[in-house]
Amino acid sequence: MNKAGKRIAVIFVSLLLILSFALSGCSSSSTGTTKKTITVWFFGDQPKPFQDLVAKFQKQSGINVNVQAIPWANAHDKLLTAVASKSGPDVITMGSSWMPEFAKAGALADLTPYLKDNPNLKPSNFFKGSVETAQYNGKYYGAPWYIDTRVLFYRTDLLKKVGYTQPPKTWDELLDAATKLSKRGKGYYGFNIDPKEQSTAFMFARQNGSNLIENGKTQFNQPAFVDAVTYMDKFIKQGATPKTDLGIDLTQSFGGKSFVPMFISGSWNIQTINTTVPDVKGKWATAVLPKGKDNNKSILGGADLTIFKYSKNKANSAKLLNYLSSEETQLKWLKISTDMPAVSSAWNSNQLKDNPFYKAFGEQAKTAEPLPLVPQFEEMAQGYLKSWEKIYRTGANVQKTLDQYNSSAQQILDNK
Amino acid sequence: MVLPFIWMLLSSVKTDMEILQIPPSIWPKSFTLDNFITLFTQMDFLVYLKNTIIIVLFSFVGMFLNAIAGYGFAKYRFKGKNSLFYLVLATMMIPGQVTMIPVYLLLNMAHLTNTLLGIALPGMVGAFGIFLFRQFMSTISDEIIEAARLDGCSEFYIFWKIILPISRPVLAVQGILTFIAGWNSFIWPLIIANDQKYYTLSVGLALLKGQHASNYALQMAGSAFMVIPIVIVFLALQKYILQGFNVSGMK
Amino acid sequence: MKTFLNKNSPYLFITPALFLLLIFSIVPIIISLIISFTDINITGLADWSKIHFIGLSNYVNLFNDPAFLQSIGNSIFYVVIGVPFVIACSMGIALLINFGDSWIFRLFRLIFYAPSITNVVAVAVVWNYLYNPQFGLLNYMLQFVHLGPVPWLQDPFIAKISLIILALWRAIGVNMLIFLAALQGIPKAYYEAAQIDGANSWQRLTKITIPMLRFATFFVTVTTLIGWLQFFEEPLVMTSGGPLNSTNSIALFIYQNGFQFSKFGYAAAGSMILFVIIIVVTLIQFRGQRKQQDNQM
Repeated sequence: MNKAGKRIAVIFVSLLLILSFALSGCSSSSTGTTKKTITVWFFGDQPKPFQDLVAKFQKQSGINVNVQAIPWANAHDKLLTAVASKSGPDVITMGSSWMPEFAKAGALADLTPYLKDNPNLKPSNFFKGSVETAQYNGKYYGAPWYIDTRVLFYRTDLLKKVGYTQPPKTWDELLDAATKLSKRGKGYYGFNIDPKEQSTAFMFARQNGSNLIENGKTQFNQPAFVDAVTYMDKFIKQGATPKTDLGIDLTQSFGGKSFVPMFISGSWNIQTINTTVPDVKGKWATAVLPKGKDNNKSILGGADLTIFKYSKNKANSAKLLNYLSSEETQLKWLKISTDMPAVSSAWNSNQLKDNPFYKAFGEQAKTAEPLPLVPQFEEMAQGYLKSWEKIYRTGANVQKTLDQYNSSAQQILDNK
Repeated sequence: MVLPFIWMLLSSVKTDMEILQIPPSIWPKSFTLDNFITLFTQMDFLVYLKNTIIIVLFSFVGMFLNAIAGYGFAKYRFKGKNSLFYLVLATMMIPGQVTMIPVYLLLNMAHLTNTLLGIALPGMVGAFGIFLFRQFMSTISDEIIEAARLDGCSEFYIFWKIILPISRPVLAVQGILTFIAGWNSFIWPLIIANDQKYYTLSVGLALLKGQHASNYALQMAGSAFMVIPIVIVFLALQKYILQGFNVSGMK
Repeated sequence: MKTFLNKNSPYLFITPALFLLLIFSIVPIIISLIISFTDINITGLADWSKIHFIGLSNYVNLFNDPAFLQSIGNSIFYVVIGVPFVIACSMGIALLINFGDSWIFRLFRLIFYAPSITNVVAVAVVWNYLYNPQFGLLNYMLQFVHLGPVPWLQDPFIAKISLIILALWRAIGVNMLIFLAALQGIPKAYYEAAQIDGANSWQRLTKITIPMLRFATFFVTVTTLIGWLQFFEEPLVMTSGGPLNSTNSIALFIYQNGFQFSKFGYAAAGSMILFVIIIVVTLIQFRGQRKQQDNQM
């Protein structure tokens, strides 16, 4: 063997070594799924606390729970590969807006057969709106895990200065307060309408009496919807809402002298405000939404606990769901994560009743409804954002723009 | 030019509150190591590090394959060379997201999902690397190779003993890029792994990002930590970039 | 045995890499081509019997989709403005940095390289602050010369330019390294000969350095062009394609349809069109390069 040959041999041997090292590193573990282990795909940033949460369940039941945390931003990709390969986890903590999509695709198991042995999963235990997110074509695909509903955040001190000792109770009051607050000077506003938040208009339209989608027909150019968008546009036109994205976080513009002292958003802001702008402590509050022509319903989202259709451990998985849906576990999770319980009885506990910031959420959740539960809604909502951009940026005619939008949304809806 | 880089480093020792204040501060008012502590307690750091290193090793094997293929395309005439090379280039032109699900299904059929091999394979070779090596090796003069052949050297010996040393600058460039790609590998570890014990550091970092609110301080601490080895590798390899052998001077 | 190895060595050399590429790129591309003629969505993904062949409908719809047409227009704009800038800047910086190897040059190499290794989240946060219309650093500085405020990311046209500046800033590092490596391949003897002939430094640059860099330039041109046609990350994190769709690129359009709306067939058709565009442009470049080489010979 010449020198070159030796070198080749060395390279190939080392290649083989590396490969076999890597292979042996894996093969030992892939035998995994014994009957007593269930895998949970957990979407979120707190996998460790969730593991602690299920520790008690593992002890009680003798079932091993393997938690795989998946980053939110890539959760959808990961779910798609699971659906495509028909292999994946047993339990998924599914974002409620994805429920229709994956339920329609047949990726989730119907929970109805497991209700008898697992009383905590009974639909009547949860907020009505939450249960709706878990239902598709009359079947029950998930147990609500936590809720996300939107309420009004406002600066009590600044509203007092413009004559509001109480939070705005009606649309008119909201507009009036916001306009007055924006008169504080250049660069100051009253109320935030996030140009990237798709749900805002649908929420306002519903408060204005719109049904959004009726018998398979989109209602986005009907008076109730058009008036709601016109109402939102008034905030921009009167300078009460920034016309261009301020490019800073909601809480940043909320603190200090407060460029934007009122906004509608979800419960995670409570903690963000406390940690990032602690200087406003005692000067802000949450309140239920101002009432429109018809009601003051908010939208309801959150996450549902689902069982993957191709799971081989459905009965054991249902036991885990049952454990997670107990009032006790839900309150424990609230403490760890600030995710709000979907079990309605949990809201009678002191932990929630005594917290002034949470109160508005509990109140709001009673009537809140999810966004239309059709798989194409995400695409329709994106289309809305583009129309809204046209209206507030270029001053396009509201009725005409929404006529156009309605017909394209109808097309998306028909296009199954 | 370097402002974002510096900002990233400095923000890693700030509190989240300070990062978000207006106007922003460049120099941290109060140093805190909390971000790093949270980082290491929230992540299975050693496991992720081990996986990341294994994937980097695979990437370097892939770089070697790229180099040898680039050499094949640069210095040989053979049947179908041009069409094969266009085929290689074509693979560079399709956005990665489109091929993701097909690749996953293929790996699943081969029972390579949830293995480190399956995680490393899709990213091992790439048209970018092959193309880069081909371009550079084209400029090496044929006389050297011919002379070596007359001396009776084997083809592989020529590649290993003559071509690679000459190509040191481009190897250094590609080495830096390969290291970064392996070190930051994110999407395949996430998609192929069905178990957290195969996650890489990047995936671990992505877990820190919330659905709505993000803790910037924590993310910056993670990014700052991730970038340190890259800077070291860059500093170590950059001197080779400027140490070219003046081969074409023999003409 | 040895002669066999030597005779077939080019094939032996390219086979391992080609094999991997075949499996992980070419086969998936063919699969994408097939699904671009279907109506596959997430339901079809779960149950293959629900996939229907719909012929060219996806392609017909694409060319009637104003958002898609606009994204093609935007991508062309990015390419036309972006590619020359990236090449000129990275080559220029490489030439300047190549003058020496003292610590100051090494520092500058790291400085110019730093943007390409900075985490994209950090990039987004800092640039968002720079570009912020009210509190941003750029407009703050413009105030002193009584200019502005410039709506960096709010005006449909300026937003495109702003994203190009950002992407240029990120792209210089890698391309600079490639040019630096290529500069080492130029024989010093050429310069010495030119000096004897009395060529000044400008002539040496245009007559020796730049022509000798043509292999590297070609590489950078092709990859940068492909990069700009696949321009994706910057609009995603900075503008999500807005305002009024003015910064949306073809790749971002594909991503939105494929992964946000799960319309895989439609997205696959979009990527096939992108694929064809890139192939055509690249082939034109290869023709150009070959002609150039022929002329020199």
